[in-house]
Amino acid sequence: MQQQTQQQPAAKPKKKIRVPRVINGVEQMVEIEVDEDSGPGWGPNDKHTLLNHRIPRVDGPLKASGTAKYTYDMRLPGMLYGRILRCPHAHARITSMNTDAASAIPGVKAIVKAPLEETRFSGAPVAAVAAITPEIADDAIHAIVVKYEILPHVVIPDESIKPGAPKVVPDPPDRKEDNLQQKAKAGDLQKVEAAFATADAIIEAEYRTARLHHSCLETHGMVVDYRGGETATVYASTQGTFTIPEESAKFLGLPQSAVTAVVQHMGGGFGSKFGIGTEGMFACRLSKETKSPVKLMLTRYDEFVMTGNRSASWQKIKAGVKKDGSLVAVQSRQYRLGGVGQGSQAGQPYIYRGGEFYREIYALHTNEDSSNAMRAPGHPQASFAIESLMDELAYKIQMDPVAFRKKNLLSPTYHRQLDRGAKEIGWSRRNAMAGGNPGPLKRGFGCAVGTWGGGGNNQCKVDVTVARDGSVVVAVGVQDLGTGTRTYTRAIVAEEFGLQVTDVTEQIGNSKLGAAVASGGSVTAASLSPSVKDAAIKARLLFAERVAPLLDNAKPEDIKFANGTVSANNKSITWKQASASLPAAGITSHGVWRSDLQATGVQGCCFAEVEVDVETGFIRPIKMVHIQNGGLPLNRLTMESQINGGMIQSLGMSLWEGRVIDGELGMPLNPHFGDYKLPGSLEMPELVPIIDDDDKREAVIGIAEPAVIPAVGAIANAVFNATGVRIRELPITPDKILMGLMNSGPISTAKV
Amino acid sequence: MKSFEWVNASTIAEAVRMLNTAAPGKDIDEAPRPIAGGQDLITTMKDYTTRPTRVVNLKSIRGLDRITSDSKGGLTIGALVTLNQIEEHAGIRKNFPGLAEAAHSVATPQIRNLGTIGGNLCQRPRCWYFRLEEVVCLKKGGSQCYAATGENKYHAIFGGGPSFIVHPSDLAPMLVALGARVAVTGSSGKQVIALDKFFTLPAEGDVRRENVLKNDDIITEIQVPASPFAARSTYLKFKERESLDFALAAVAAAVQLQPNKTVKTARIVLGGVAPIPWRVPDAEKFLTGKIVNRDVLAQAAKIALKDAQPLEKNAYKVPLTETLVRRALAKAAGVSL
Amino acid sequence: MSKSRDENGRMHDPSRRKFLKGVGIAGAGAAVADKLWTEAQAEEQGTSLKTVSGSVKISLDVNGKTQPVEVEPRTTLLNALRNHLEPAVTGPKLVCDMGTCGACTVLIDGQPAYSCLILAVDATNKKITTVEGLGSPEKPNAVQAAFVEHDALMCGFCTPGFVTSISAYLKKNPNPSLAEVREACKGNFCRCGTYPRVFEAALAAAKKSV
Repeated sequence: MQQQTQQQPAAKPKKKIRVPRVINGVEQMVEIEVDEDSGPGWGPNDKHTLLNHRIPRVDGPLKASGTAKYTYDMRLPGMLYGRILRCPHAHARITSMNTDAASAIPGVKAIVKAPLEETRFSGAPVAAVAAITPEIADDAIHAIVVKYEILPHVVIPDESIKPGAPKVVPDPPDRKEDNLQQKAKAGDLQKVEAAFATADAIIEAEYRTARLHHSCLETHGMVVDYRGGETATVYASTQGTFTIPEESAKFLGLPQSAVTAVVQHMGGGFGSKFGIGTEGMFACRLSKETKSPVKLMLTRYDEFVMTGNRSASWQKIKAGVKKDGSLVAVQSRQYRLGGVGQGSQAGQPYIYRGGEFYREIYALHTNEDSSNAMRAPGHPQASFAIESLMDELAYKIQMDPVAFRKKNLLSPTYHRQLDRGAKEIGWSRRNAMAGGNPGPLKRGFGCAVGTWGGGGNNQCKVDVTVARDGSVVVAVGVQDLGTGTRTYTRAIVAEEFGLQVTDVTEQIGNSKLGAAVASGGSVTAASLSPSVKDAAIKARLLFAERVAPLLDNAKPEDIKFANGTVSANNKSITWKQASASLPAAGITSHGVWRSDLQATGVQGCCFAEVEVDVETGFIRPIKMVHIQNGGLPLNRLTMESQINGGMIQSLGMSLWEGRVIDGELGMPLNPHFGDYKLPGSLEMPELVPIIDDDDKREAVIGIAEPAVIPAVGAIANAVFNATGVRIRELPITPDKILMGLMNSGPISTAKV
Repeated sequence: MKSFEWVNASTIAEAVRMLNTAAPGKDIDEAPRPIAGGQDLITTMKDYTTRPTRVVNLKSIRGLDRITSDSKGGLTIGALVTLNQIEEHAGIRKNFPGLAEAAHSVATPQIRNLGTIGGNLCQRPRCWYFRLEEVVCLKKGGSQCYAATGENKYHAIFGGGPSFIVHPSDLAPMLVALGARVAVTGSSGKQVIALDKFFTLPAEGDVRRENVLKNDDIITEIQVPASPFAARSTYLKFKERESLDFALAAVAAAVQLQPNKTVKTARIVLGGVAPIPWRVPDAEKFLTGKIVNRDVLAQAAKIALKDAQPLEKNAYKVPLTETLVRRALAKAAGVSL
Repeated sequence: MSKSRDENGRMHDPSRRKFLKGVGIAGAGAAVADKLWTEAQAEEQGTSLKTVSGSVKISLDVNGKTQPVEVEPRTTLLNALRNHLEPAVTGPKLVCDMGTCGACTVLIDGQPAYSCLILAVDATNKKITTVEGLGSPEKPNAVQAAFVEHDALMCGFCTPGFVTSISAYLKKNPNPSLAEVREACKGNFCRCGTYPRVFEAALAAAKKSV
């Protein structure tokens, strides 16, 4: 990744700090060394001229007119279309594969096989073809004859955990029992047991969340432009420009430096798009073999079974409280259901502190495709369970759920946010008796809280160039996932020079530009913006040195840049005039990351109002409010959009989304948008995204992930408040409401 | 999608001939298919459920895209009339409101702009086993219905066995309630079939098919007679996801009231719960002569669902459909619950 | 009712478990033939496809320009636009390919339709308008401009479909309510979560163009 080594001035004082580093979307803290004295900061959050304002995204016109070119839109001369053949069986051994008939189809140019003999989930890729049209590629994969020896499988966790269940993963070194591996253990069991004895109320319950699909609208894939020469260009739909060249080069048989990755626009990743993946491997191999450009974008079905998922969860939790609402103990046994992968799940009691806790976390395998990072990996699952349980305890001791949370959350930020959220949603309209409202259409209210890191790290190298004609370019290889990266990158530079966003051009999404972080774990903003700011400050000083003679030799740091003018000593010249004093090649600065321009640690809370028709089980979300802090908001418009997006994805997890799999066939039954139900326009409640401006930190922090965490608990709790029925398994669908009501008897006797 | 031969037919007779003379294929699902809007057919071709050797375009035939009324107020709807035409047709909205509602309830504006009434009646099931390319279930020539003991949340509570699909059409239950007939032309000539005889239960007809049509039969028009209950018709569809979904349950209802507010005639046809539009005559009879009120509706709903035989995961459809029966009848009769 | 039901109305099919579990290679043929796309079918697929099935020359009227294009009968309009037209028309996106997401929405004679569910051979003699035909980055139509101003897009992959659906709807109903806007774009799905701002943009565009 270190393609451009910066010449750092020697002997600057250093300090050590801990920063998050994201590997495949999973955030880990690492210690790094940074300069102690770093230079000017952002200044107060309310003093910006562009940042912390509402800036329409700069790629908006291209996207709204359909002219933005995504990887999927690339069409190169002589390009072939790739397709992958999947193994339908949950567990099988390939005994033979005959590609003769497929090869004989006119227009089929190459067939490559996956380097595997045994498949462990339905959907495993076993071969790929390249043909002159996608239709012929479709013919070809249907003509490949694969013979399988079918092996025993297990896809239901409750069966997988039983002794004697078919083995999913071959002999893990730390095997404890079949398919079950302990991953973590924390807390003190004896203290927890003692504490339970002091509790006034105890609830023990099981919670389950379904396996979710990222559902990136642009499927995974690449267009490999290699024609047998010494270089290749790889267009990739990726969250990490710099995660592409090394692996691509390996399969193309080229040196890494010969491969350029390009990602100008990409249609969603949500944690699933790092590295080239199996599809990229096949695309490279097919391109190498045919010496032709190959486009291999997964089909929607492929996307559902090959690109990972948010691991499902199964959580058994017991918690006890005092009458005053203080938690005394939480004990949990948590299963991460990551298929053949590891899954992820935050440890309970998640953000709640107080009393004792003890937890054991296991990976419980099934013959399903591996889980993958998905927006706040492991957090929404844990949040749903603990927020439901906290709610159950609050009802049991007849305490207001907001007051209950404040009792068990120490941070004043949460208290502030909970008060604000309660006001915004109209919490006072809530009927404290669950299911207590008259009539079949019952309103209910719920709330939940969440946290995330969101700090950055030192991987971004940014160049800012000002030409003699006054044009400004900021260049870095980073990708924009639709998060607004292009826009704030421009805005930071424009603000530094007192220019407008339209006065600056950004060059991004190319591995030949300055190195950049991959976008996972909400690290991009906090990794990139300090480097951009650093480059901008340095460029301003270089510019100021050049222009000083025109301003009575003012000190560079005293020269002001504002409203398209450059001024000092009561003299003012236009930006154009000032730029004319630059050398022929203009000036270029190199920015590096500064830890003091970013921070880590954000908090948020979500409130939801729903209406449940208890005669049909239909749940209508009415309103959702999410309050989120995040230091300096680079762009309020796009930050609010991110918060909306988090709420909506969390809402989808709550009410509609989830893989359905047939236990005996071992096959997912809904690998398509017909039966994997994303929320649509009619599902939308009124959404209120609120930026918590009481966070005065003059530092950038990522907020993409925290917005997806608490809504799921808020919705589930609102459904309970409306109906008196506690659904502990996601998604909460009408059938579960109706069956829950039938099993709990008349609604007026609902437990509160 | 497998490749096929494309034919634009210019007359009904030519279309029938083109269907009749194509290579038949080895399997019923390889037989030539007529295409109208194609909004379902193309999806089944993409997932290889249908693999026709020839596709015969009916849209090139003139005159099948009109809605006409007879002197008594009955409708003749050409098979190529789109769902959008039906939902926006002023006469239908006024005199057959349930039919306009049923058309409006289908899928999305995009689908309704191209999807036709004929195609809507001939849709293939949405069962997720049936729609999964790799699964060869009973309806695709295999030996069993995987939904019977599998994931059957969306499946039949009436009329199931040996297949447990539900019929996906929204227009079908409403048209059955309205006493509609379909005009069909095939190699054996023309015939008019009452819609309640058109659909076939898996245990009675060919389990591979949902209706009586042969491979070279084409629906040319749908006839909806004038009736004293058509103006009090309604269609109530329950979707898990309102934006785009098939019915978990639906009710097509129509009532004719006497001047003294008692029910003279009631029609109740359930959708989304059986392999065919499921008429509930006992509930219809029960309502006859009664004044519609809360208690009567509750009893009628119980009677409508009394013979339901839920599978392991769809017992919820019983209370759900009861609610829909009550609400649909109340709306049709103009009473509030 | 089916004979295989038990007294609880549940289906019994004892064969199911038997053939799905513990199938060895010897028994695999029959069992798997019943269950999944099989070797036999694949073999047949191979032999039946010795020749590329006939391509046909058609012409398509896209964004006011009639162009000849050579496609197979099975080529969808979407694939014809994206893979065959010169230059490629890639505003409409291939996302679900099953008429369930709306990203491929185009106008056929002014009416929104899923171009993944129309065969190209079936789209001749019709006026096809894609998002590119509604406006450009330099000259956006009112909906496109409002999408940018109200941040009604994030990754942007669903955006062409939404813009197309809403642009067509505002022609039909220049002064819609929020409920009508929602209804008009219910056949378009977004994953990033732009809906609230899509609604705002649509209503703002309506005000501007009225």
